[in-house]
Amino acid sequence: MSELVLNVGPQHPGSGHFRLIIHVDGDTITKAIPDPGYVHRGIEKQAEYREYLQNIPLLERPVISDSNGSVYAYVLAVERLAGLKVPERAQYIRVLMAELNRMMSHLYWLAIYGIFLGHSTMFMWPFGDREVLIDLAQRAMGQRLTYSFFVPGGVRSDLPDGFKDEALRAMEFLGGRLPEYDSIFVSNPLFLDRTRKVGILSREDAIRLGVVGPTLRGSGVDADARKDEPYDAYDRIEFDVATFQDGDCYSRARVRIEEIKQSMRIVKQVLESIPSGPFRAKSPSVLNPQRGNVYARAEAARGTYAYFLTSLGRRMPYRLKISSPSFRNLPAFEFLMKGSHLADMPTIYWSLDYWPLEADR
Amino acid sequence: MLGLTEPLSNLLQILVFPGLGFALTFVLFMVWYERKLLAKVQVRVGPLYAGRFEGILQPIADFVKLLFKEIIVPKQADRFLFMLAPTFMMALSVSILALIPLSPSNVIADSNVAILVIIAVLSLSPLAIVVAAWASNNKYSLIGGLRALHQTTSYAIPLSLSVLGVVLMSGSFSLMSIVESQRNAWFIMLQPLGAIVFFLAALAELERVPFDIPEAETEVVMGWETEYSGINYGIIMTAAYVKFYALAVLFTELFLGGWLGPEPVPPALWTIIKTFFVITLMMIPRGVYPRLRIDQMLRLGWTRLLPLSLVNIIISLVAVSFMA
Amino acid sequence: MSKLGSHISAIQSGFKHLYKRRMTLRYPESKLEILSGYRYPLAGYKGRHVLSMEKCTGCSICELTCRNIARAIKMVRVEGASPRNKKSIFPQIDYGYCVFCGFCVDACVFSALTMTPEYELAAYDKQQLIYEPKMLAASPPASGSARFVVTKSAAYHKKPKRTPEINQA
Repeated sequence: MSELVLNVGPQHPGSGHFRLIIHVDGDTITKAIPDPGYVHRGIEKQAEYREYLQNIPLLERPVISDSNGSVYAYVLAVERLAGLKVPERAQYIRVLMAELNRMMSHLYWLAIYGIFLGHSTMFMWPFGDREVLIDLAQRAMGQRLTYSFFVPGGVRSDLPDGFKDEALRAMEFLGGRLPEYDSIFVSNPLFLDRTRKVGILSREDAIRLGVVGPTLRGSGVDADARKDEPYDAYDRIEFDVATFQDGDCYSRARVRIEEIKQSMRIVKQVLESIPSGPFRAKSPSVLNPQRGNVYARAEAARGTYAYFLTSLGRRMPYRLKISSPSFRNLPAFEFLMKGSHLADMPTIYWSLDYWPLEADR
Repeated sequence: MLGLTEPLSNLLQILVFPGLGFALTFVLFMVWYERKLLAKVQVRVGPLYAGRFEGILQPIADFVKLLFKEIIVPKQADRFLFMLAPTFMMALSVSILALIPLSPSNVIADSNVAILVIIAVLSLSPLAIVVAAWASNNKYSLIGGLRALHQTTSYAIPLSLSVLGVVLMSGSFSLMSIVESQRNAWFIMLQPLGAIVFFLAALAELERVPFDIPEAETEVVMGWETEYSGINYGIIMTAAYVKFYALAVLFTELFLGGWLGPEPVPPALWTIIKTFFVITLMMIPRGVYPRLRIDQMLRLGWTRLLPLSLVNIIISLVAVSFMA
Repeated sequence: MSKLGSHISAIQSGFKHLYKRRMTLRYPESKLEILSGYRYPLAGYKGRHVLSMEKCTGCSICELTCRNIARAIKMVRVEGASPRNKKSIFPQIDYGYCVFCGFCVDACVFSALTMTPEYELAAYDKQQLIYEPKMLAASPPASGSARFVVTKSAAYHKKPKRTPEINQA
């Protein structure tokens, strides 16, 4: 049979707002060309017409399942530029909320991996357990997914009463769910058949292609912005960076589940040792930072977010460049899918955790 | 008068019990039961509002909804074959029902070679799928249809061979005598290998998880069913579930002793109870396993199930010659 | 053989869930209980705003804040004297645009705008989503009463008891 050109297009149950042009020969993919850009909304340009505080609802919306991750880097950048010093309690609260978001995003990832692999239970359980975390976030921040909670200088409101007990109970609940996930997903022989030795990314290739996040850590590279350039309270909290050596889809899945466990560890430590004090630094609501450029990195659930902010001393930024992890992982598509089976396409695609809105901005 | 009651009772058997009427009602119940069972495994509720009791009328609501939808035939599709394929599938599934007895007195067409005919008719299903896939004129349908063709053809062989062990033990192709010869011991204890092979091959023939690669949503939208909408899709789904029901009753009669059971319960009811149990077993993998890739599935069929069924035949031959 | 063991533990895990409590919240018969709305700087749910027409002075800071975020607030003139509000203008919020970020609540110096736990704002018509100041001044309906219970082994929604409830404004 001659080569078929398949359009795993924007209208497809398995692709999100993203197009993959796949050349198939029988059951083997000979070429896979990603075609992003269907959801480009000009976020970077729009950010130039909003003040620094007003940018926050804008910037958290491309990545709704992990909104705190992208805003974190922005807020760090603005603080460095404006010379704001964040109080300790605010640092701990920010770490707590960022880790809750990381868990939420990874559970969402697990659920959609279930859809891609045809495992309907793997779809339902993580979404249900994510509700526990979303409920927690709703009590603390007021919204379920896009919180507008981080601001340059700290956070917008303090933790409500009784939050610590509820959070510890939620962590206990999740800790009891992880062995269930292990027995029905991760150690499921059919899941191992589908993801072992599929989409192998060696360590050298991972570094050469410039991928970030769990994709990089699944290939054995120990790179995590929380350890390499610690920000806020991460240098005072103990946690490990999950790294696995094989570089296949299975390692990437294990990395993410291990990151859920490490996030639970961080959350428990933060809840035990959070200091009291103010939760927001005194700062004008219309910031006029000094002229200059600043670069800031933060580790979101999908990878490293980096912001490059140029300010001319006015109340709106002059240029805001966003480097999102999904866009950084795009070269891996073409590289990994060449020569694999057609049925491995969704396995590899989602193991890279590509989020079209975040890549297109 | 006497000349009229025979065909009349035959007609009643065909249309009501154990024929179409009962089968279609059971299929409706099966659809609801599957959704509820999966929902329970997934910590959610399943159908709830259609019908007073826990959404029991939900399959009927879905069927009525499908009746209301437009039947879209793609412009470049082969119209005749496109509309023929669902009917063909339905005919295949329903014609098996005529040969399967629910009890010695509840059978539409008893035959000495019932099993042979059933296997032969089941082996026609790849043809129906290919007709549907080709007539759709759609790349995804083509890929899905070819995968389904590979799958159903490969698994038809272990299906047929696993039945051979039972036939050897009971000495006849007729389903009546197969069930009668299980009076002392059910064949699932004498032929565990055959039962496992038949179970897995039946799951693959029905394109159920973990063998539902032909309709893998995330790669080939709906596989060979992609272009079917409205009642066309309803007929395909009904045909699949009727085949499910038929294969489950077949499993009961081949391995679980069919209608044999203690007296106060009528034999037909025993068949139904055991079929219910088999259906539950066949639905559970849907909540527990992801789907296999096509090459892994074909490898399973050819390198594991086929040798196992051959080994099963050899063991049965040896056992029968010992007992003779 | 360990493969068989993994198969068995997977199926066992599936069976175990047959007798766990369902997590489903049977909306709309039961609704989630949310007690407090967002009032800077206290944490709370960010739902519909409620405007206190006695406190509002018509300074338009809320409109300025929202202008670059969602452009949902417009100041409109409302007849009826209010000693603090010389121009007699009050905010009108268009919930078709509002993103519920709550920066207007942060910005209001007089704490006239706060947010409530009301989230059921769906309407059949875009015009119905524009809440005039008088509509904004109305208090929200009583909260639902199903609580989300998280224990060590299960998470579920506890159905409300069928006792007459005191209407909390």
